[in-house]
Amino acid sequence: MTAAPTTTVDPQLGRRVGGADSALGRLRARWKGLVIRPIVLIVVLVVLWLSVHGRQLDSIEARSLNRHEITTELMDHIKLSLASTVLTIAIAVPLGILLNRRGARFIKPIGLGLGNIGQAVPSIGLIVLLALWIGDGFRTALIALVVYSTLPVLRNTIVGLESVDPTLIEAARGMGMSRRAVLGRIELPLAVPVILAGIRTALVLTVASAVLATFIGAGGLGGGLVVGLGQNRPILSVTFGVMVAALALLADWLGLIAEEVLRPRGM
Amino acid sequence: MRTSTRSLTALLAVVAISAAAAGCTVSEDKDKATAGAGSIKKIDALAGKSIRVGSKEFDEQLLLGQIAIVALEATGAKPVDKTNITGSDNVRKSLTGNAIDLYWEYTGTGWVSYLKQTKQIADPVGLYDAVKKADEPNGITWWARSPANDTYAIVASSSAAQKTGVKTISDYAALAKKNPAQAATCMGPEFKARDDGFPGVEKTYGFKLPTAQTHLLNDSIVYPTVGKGATCSFGSVASTDGRVAAQKLVILEDDKHFFPVYNPAITIRASVAKQYPQLEQVFSSIATKLDSKTLTTLNEKVSVGGEDAKKVAKDWLKANGYVS
Repeated sequence: MTAAPTTTVDPQLGRRVGGADSALGRLRARWKGLVIRPIVLIVVLVVLWLSVHGRQLDSIEARSLNRHEITTELMDHIKLSLASTVLTIAIAVPLGILLNRRGARFIKPIGLGLGNIGQAVPSIGLIVLLALWIGDGFRTALIALVVYSTLPVLRNTIVGLESVDPTLIEAARGMGMSRRAVLGRIELPLAVPVILAGIRTALVLTVASAVLATFIGAGGLGGGLVVGLGQNRPILSVTFGVMVAALALLADWLGLIAEEVLRPRGM
Repeated sequence: MRTSTRSLTALLAVVAISAAAAGCTVSEDKDKATAGAGSIKKIDALAGKSIRVGSKEFDEQLLLGQIAIVALEATGAKPVDKTNITGSDNVRKSLTGNAIDLYWEYTGTGWVSYLKQTKQIADPVGLYDAVKKADEPNGITWWARSPANDTYAIVASSSAAQKTGVKTISDYAALAKKNPAQAATCMGPEFKARDDGFPGVEKTYGFKLPTAQTHLLNDSIVYPTVGKGATCSFGSVASTDGRVAAQKLVILEDDKHFFPVYNPAITIRASVAKQYPQLEQVFSSIATKLDSKTLTTLNEKVSVGGEDAKKVAKDWLKANGYVS
């Protein structure tokens, strides 16, 4: 942590000063570190493809290991994870902000408690129960995933906002900024790294848990995985398992990029 | 965040269920069968010997596993409960890999899935004899064929059966060709993947259900989903499952006799079978009493009535005088 960020705008140039401090500049400075993961993932997937490709497959394996089936399952998985993450952010971040406002402090524990329940419930139980209760399919899987991954985002939003130095807020209020302006220009930007860490956690959780969607007719990479485990076809469990892991790591990496871009300058 | 009381109750129910599940251990002594008190006599060679009993993960298998365990207790052996292994192939691998000593397998599954046979044998006894012979080189002995037939079946929800008039799988295949939207089918992962499952049905009956109408669900969710009839009008089930009647599902006739016969029978490691040959008679006398109707009724007690499999197994063995 360095000193409080100062917004330096050069009046002559009308743009932010300090190349390394702008988002792109920072990415450029760290690209070597950031580029390692996708390269490793690509290598792993190529090795996987090479080791699976050209194997003699029996009928059960061939039904799951073909381009059409893999593409379908992968697209379902990505759609579900994306939709769930977007919804989670749309629900949990505003909720975290609301629970952190002065008037709502007393219900904060309730909000966190609900989030805790959502995460404490075994995800497979939740998804199956929901399916029996409101029917199967994409929508149900989406609800279950959102319930399951709301907590980390909610908690980190609250913690991120709580950790903003109160003297900064007081100073801003003293300068005559409205509460809303303080939230938008001081509190939220400073809380971004913590909030994003929560979103990254939720992303990885979601991609991993989306495997369970196959139990309720919502597709996803769990399909091949379940057949592999149930029918004792290691080639399927390994292939689909590695694909899920790679997707989770890729999602996490995208979160890392977002962190680099959105982090307030000077932190 | 407003949560209706109903969903909160649901959440709490899940918590309660998982807590209960976590606390489930093998119930010791409380309902252990007393050796030699019923018609199953004590076998001295087995006294205190541990026999590992396996089973697959669905209710009928849990029940059959417990029947074997209680019967073994009655002979004076010390059965080890290794039931509830997920996936047929994994249970079979446990047996061939010496992780368990015996479990109930189905003749049709043995023939098609493990012995990779394609020849159809319609006669149940003929199939059992063929499986027994073909499995010998693998070091597996088959004993005690039960007349129950837990075959795969395609079912229609009662409303779909009325509306479409579909009675046989041929009718269903014709519907799938003519009007796929009406033939939406829910199926479990095993049925969707196995040669003696849906791929074989499509091949034999000469139709191809579009992907949009094929819904992959966990087996336990297939029953209520088809029962409701919202997502699917048809589904894949096990014919002796207690939930078929509970959900008022109509079994379609397999008019081309595609599905093999699935008689439960004991598969036991050959070395164990050789060591304790007296066990064959014990299991045979139990198996002959387990016809489809009996098995379905017992299944219903577990799946629909929510009774404990071990209790249901023991009550039935008691009622038939095997144990007391």
